[in-house]
Order: sequence, then structure tokens, then C-alpha cells
Amino acid sequence: MDDRDLALFPFISEASDHVGSLGFSLDRLISSRALDLARIRGKERVIQSISGEIEKTSFSGSEEGPVLSELLSYPFARILVSCIDDPFLTRRYSLAEAVAAYTLLKTRDVEFLSNFGNDFGVDARPSDSYFDINFTDYIKLASSMKDLKWKLVNRKLDHGNVRIAKEEFARLLQEVVRARIHDSLPIDVPEEICDLCAPYLDGIKEILDKRKTEYGAGDFEAVERELFPPCIAHAIANTMAGVNLAHSMRFAMTSFLLTVGMTVDDIINMFNVSPDFDVEKTRYQIEHISGSSGTTYKPPACATMKTYGNCYGEDELCKRIRHPLRYYSMKLWIKKRDEGKVKVQDKVVDPEQK
Amino acid sequence: MNDKTKRFVKSKFQDYYRTAEIHLPPDFTSREWGFILFDEMPEFVMRRHKAFGSSGELHDYLSGMVPAHAYYSVAYYEYPNAPNMKEKNWLSADLIFDLDADHLPGAPKSYADMLEHVKQESLKLYGFLNNDFGFAEEDIHIVFSGGRGYHFHISTPAVRSLGSAERREIVDYVGSTGLEVNRFFGKKGVSGDAGRESAEVFVLPSEDEGGWGGRINRYMVSYLSGIAKQEDSIKILTGFKGIGKKKAEQLIEIFRDERQISLLKNGKMEALSNIPKPFLEALANQAVSEMSASVDEPVTSDVKRLIRLPGSLHGGSGMRVTALSISELETFDPLNDAVVFSDKSVQLKVIKPFSVQMKGNDFVVEPGEGTIEVPEYAAMYLLCRGAAEYGSN
Ligand code: SF4
Repeated sequence: MDDRDLALFPFISEASDHVGSLGFSLDRLISSRALDLARIRGKERVIQSISGEIEKTSFSGSEEGPVLSELLSYPFARILVSCIDDPFLTRRYSLAEAVAAYTLLKTRDVEFLSNFGNDFGVDARPSDSYFDINFTDYIKLASSMKDLKWKLVNRKLDHGNVRIAKEEFARLLQEVVRARIHDSLPIDVPEEICDLCAPYLDGIKEILDKRKTEYGAGDFEAVERELFPPCIAHAIANTMAGVNLAHSMRFAMTSFLLTVGMTVDDIINMFNVSPDFDVEKTRYQIEHISGSSGTTYKPPACATMKTYGNCYGEDELCKRIRHPLRYYSMKLWIKKRDEGKVKVQDKVVDPEQK
Repeated sequence: MNDKTKRFVKSKFQDYYRTAEIHLPPDFTSREWGFILFDEMPEFVMRRHKAFGSSGELHDYLSGMVPAHAYYSVAYYEYPNAPNMKEKNWLSADLIFDLDADHLPGAPKSYADMLEHVKQESLKLYGFLNNDFGFAEEDIHIVFSGGRGYHFHISTPAVRSLGSAERREIVDYVGSTGLEVNRFFGKKGVSGDAGRESAEVFVLPSEDEGGWGGRINRYMVSYLSGIAKQEDSIKILTGFKGIGKKKAEQLIEIFRDERQISLLKNGKMEALSNIPKPFLEALANQAVSEMSASVDEPVTSDVKRLIRLPGSLHGGSGMRVTALSISELETFDPLNDAVVFSDKSVQLKVIKPFSVQMKGNDFVVEPGEGTIEVPEYAAMYLLCRGAAEYGSN
């Protein structure tokens, strides 16, 4: 790849080798006046990732300066993301870098994509406008994709080779780019360096906070576990203790948690406490319930829970509701009332029971 | 199984293990081993977290301890004998498929029929592994489990590193889970025909296209041309929803015409544009359900599972866990070929009614017949299955 491509795809190995060979020390990257533009662009990368897409230039002139700034803005952006060290930002940033890469990759020819794939250990053999790729590579790339069109069963698979269109390959590469960037963050940045970056960080943090409130990224904090109905609380406790749940109970619990606003990652993090915890299996199960097409299954009502023997520890409030979700929303309401956030009415009225 | 029976069965197993040919898995020193011993039965205590540094050690263990069941891990570990999974440090795992009569829908009742049914599924699976996935014949290791099914082991480097979710994709592929027939078999708009609805042509992948598309094409073409050759073809076809006499005649004409057939094989479906789409879809779905191989999903996705050792004996049947090539599988008759014990006569007391056909002989036994005498191979089977106890009193 030439220098321009390295600046556009700064996360590939060749680009980091190249940056290494330029011999810029961390100090220089942080403070050299000559690298002002790289730092400004680095900050811009992060901000763009929060608010939308990272825009890439096309280097129209023949000057080397902009190319170098673009290249070095990437390590600087990573320093900024690492100093802030916020999971939401890290996710957003990795995704935005990957999407930007995808936008560029789509326009490149098959040879380029094939070489690009090699950097990620993917051996895709180009021919005309499509690729043949070994099924093991393919499923490693595609098994995390939600749309059914990516399922191996819906692909052309012949003697171990999966055929994919150029655009599809670019999309799969987006996934590996995202994973590479995400898994490499945060990098270890000495505190002094973060202090020196403060002028850049403040602006980012402000935008990040604003975005988080808009997005409700802090929503999980608002999910109040102690207000869950007894059946769900029991299932959570069992799962954490490593007890296998019956399928129907696992379904009830997971769909409940998803409906009250937890994400797949939130749920996995909640359970990821014991060393035997099988993250991958759980993720699969949860994602299955959360619906690959985006449709979330509704958790079952109390009557169904009872039929399957999943109603456990019925309490006073249970007698007044017919759905575990209703239990939760009533508890929430009571809590808010007690905290004085809701005006007290005569009594709690369950509209379902009127 | 009473103590006397246990001692007898164990001594016969021991005789077997003294000379048995055991098929060691690749990198057997990186595997965890697990055994269930006769002495502890009927408790199912698994002695696991073992490792063997040489084949001699394993042989000594088998002929010394004489386990009722012998297993090794599909996984390769850095420290296979570490006491817990974390310390073992998982490195990779063979790709495994388990086809078991218990998991097949509508499996027939008799043991022999059951085994035959699973064999058919196994042959389907082999077709997928060999054609679609491109595994060479010598890389697909087929093993009769000694019980009700077959195991497939694949140890090529590329598959060893696959994670659980990725292995599940393979299971879904062979079992057609998540397959959307319409993706292969759909309509394509053609312009020009003044907005008429029939300005859509059916498209189907050609017969030599990889994946399910080509499979569906081959099935439909051969199925319909087969029907077209039959005398009562009209009757069969009008049995399908949406096919009247006229459409049936059209279909027969098409599928008796070699030229049309070869167009269809190439995915050119114009000839069928008058045929109701629901009929074609029904056929495609039929193709899918006939060709799917149903394997036990949790076994494949479990990258730490223990699996039976080929060459060992299955303590629940006394039969040999038998490694097979694909051509051996085709003619394999477990109730003959996996039987290792002799014809010497053995005395038993039957405790449960049982019938089985082994080595071409029918054995039908009932409790309360007093002591009976059967050949050792049948005796071992009945004893291991818990249908009889050893001895005359
Ligand atoms: S009554 Fe409903 S909410 Fe209460 S424990 Fe039973 S299932 Fe859960």
C-alpha cells in the first residue's frame, strides 16, 4: 500500500509498522507544534465517531503534510479514547472507524480487498467481482452478523468455498476492523500524557455526555434489579450460581431483561461473574431470543409461567398482577412515589385489574 | 447388574482389552480422558481429568482398570490433566457430529430399524461434509458409537480453532436451519410486459451451483422427471394443492422433454412460469426436508465434550465403538460387525423381556423362563443392556 492508503487505513499492520518506523516519540506526538494538525484531526475523529461518521479526505494535492497528519491522527485519537476509557465511547469509536473503512473499501478493487483481508488472516481469493473464501474463514467473519442472508445455510458453498460478492466482503471486513480496534482499546496511556491531552479531552467528554443522555446509554443504570419480580430474581440468582435453567425459564428471564431495557452486553456482563461462564453460548442464546431480525419476543405472562412451573416465590404484589413486566412497572411506580417523584393518588391502581 | 454379572462382564471386557486395537486420536497426549468403571456402577461416576503420555500407558489402563465406558476430550489442552477447565487451558478442538436415534424425529422402534435410520442420516451428513464443505474422505472419521448412532470426527487444522457459535453454523447448514427457500428460489422481475403480473420469471440456481440452491434444483428436477415417467403421474401430481389436470399435463410434458429438462437444470425456469408458485415452493420445501441431516446440535457446539474412544467397548451394549470408512459405513451392520464376543454358550437368567437380532440369529427372551443358554455375544448384549443377570441362580 502507498502512504495515502496507509493514512486511510491506519489500523492495518503495515500502517502501524510505518508509523513505528517514522520514529515519533509519544512526547512529540503529544506536544510537537509541527503535529498540531494531526492532533486536531485526531480529536475530530473521536468527535465525529460520537456524532456520526468519520469523514475521510481523498488527498487531492500532492503534498505529503496532510497525508502524515491523517496517518498520525489515528494513534492520537486512540490515546484520547483510552484516556477517557468509557465503554460506550470505545464501542462507538471502533464502530465508526470500521464503518468509515467499509465506505472506502466498497470503492476499491477486488485485489485491494483481498490484500486487505490477508492482514486479518482472511484468505479470500478474488475472481471477477466476487470472492471465494474458505468456509471456516467465512463463518468466523459472518457468524456475528444478524441478517439471515449471512447464514452459511443461505450461501453458495461448494467444496469448502463460500462465494461472496465484493460488497459483501467489504461488509465482513468492516466487522474484523471493528473487532481489531475494539479489542485493542484502551491502550495503556500514562497519566501524565492524559493530563497533557486535557485540552483535547474536555470537548470530547462534553459531547460524549450529551450524546449518552440522548441515546439513553446510561439506561442500564436505570434498570432496577431489586424491583424485579421473584421469579426473575430467582432465575438470575440461579444463572449466576451456574445452575442450568429450563429452556422456558431462560426464555422468560432473557426476554424480560431485554424488554426492561437491558442490552445483550448488559445481560452478559451481569452473568459474567463465575469463571465457568460461557460467554459465547450465553450470547448466542440471548441473541437468539432478542431476535436476529430485530423482533424481540415478549416475556410470557404469569399464567404461562405457572403452567411451566416457572412461577417462583409469588408475593403480595404478585396477587395483583398478571404479568411479570407489570410487577416491575408497579414496583418502579411505587418507588418513585415514595421518593416523591410521582404524585400520590388514592392507591395504586392496576388498570389490567379494573 | 448384580455383582456376579459385573464380574463376568468385566472379565470379558478385560479379555477384549488385552488384545484390542485402539484407535488413538491425533495428539492424544493433549487430550483429557474420562472413564466409568464397573465397580462404581450403577452410579455414573466419571473418572476424568486423566492424561496419558504414551499408548502403552493407555493400554495398561484399559486392561488393568477395565472401564465400562472410555472417553477422551474432543478438545486439545495444554495441561489435559489439570483438575479444572480453566487450568487445562483449552487450545482447540476436533469438529464432532453426533447422530443418535434418540434425536431423530419419528425414529422407528426396533433397534435394527433404528440403526438403519441413523445410518441414512449419516450418509446424508457425509454428503454435506464431502461435497459442500470439501472435506477429503480420509479426513472424515466415522465411528459407530456402540449404542444408537454414529459419531463423525474431523481434526483438520482449519476446523480446530472454530468456536461454538461457528460450529453451530455448520450444524444449521446440514440441518437446513434458517434456510430461506425464497432466497434460492424466487421471482425475478422482467421488464417490458406492460405491467402484467406475469412479468416475473422464476429463477433457480443451476444444478451445479454450490450450496442448498443446487441441491434444491437437483432434487426438484429428478423428482418431477421421475413422476413424469410413471403411469399414474397425473394422479400423483393432481394430489398436490393447486395442480389440476391441465397443469399436471403441462408438467408431464415438460419433464418428458430432455431439452426442457436441461434448461431447467441450468436454472432457466421459464417453462414453469405457468405453474403455481405455491406448488414449486412446496416441492422446494420437500427437497429441503428430505435432504437435511439432523445432528445433535449441543454435541457439535460443545468444544470441551468427551467422546467415546474408537476401539473401546460400550458398557451399555457390550458392542465395539467401531471406526469406519465411508464404504464400510454403507454396508455396516452393527449387530454383526460391532459384535466382538464368541459363540461359546453362557447361562443367564432373564429379568426383562427383550428381543434382538444378532449375527443373523433372533433372540427373544422372557423373564421367568428359568436359566437359558445363549451364545456369549448375545449374553454380553443382554447383560450390558440390563435384560438379564449372569449364571444359573
Ligand atoms: S406471579 Fe407472575 S410475577 Fe409473580 S412470581 Fe409468579 S410469574 Fe413471577
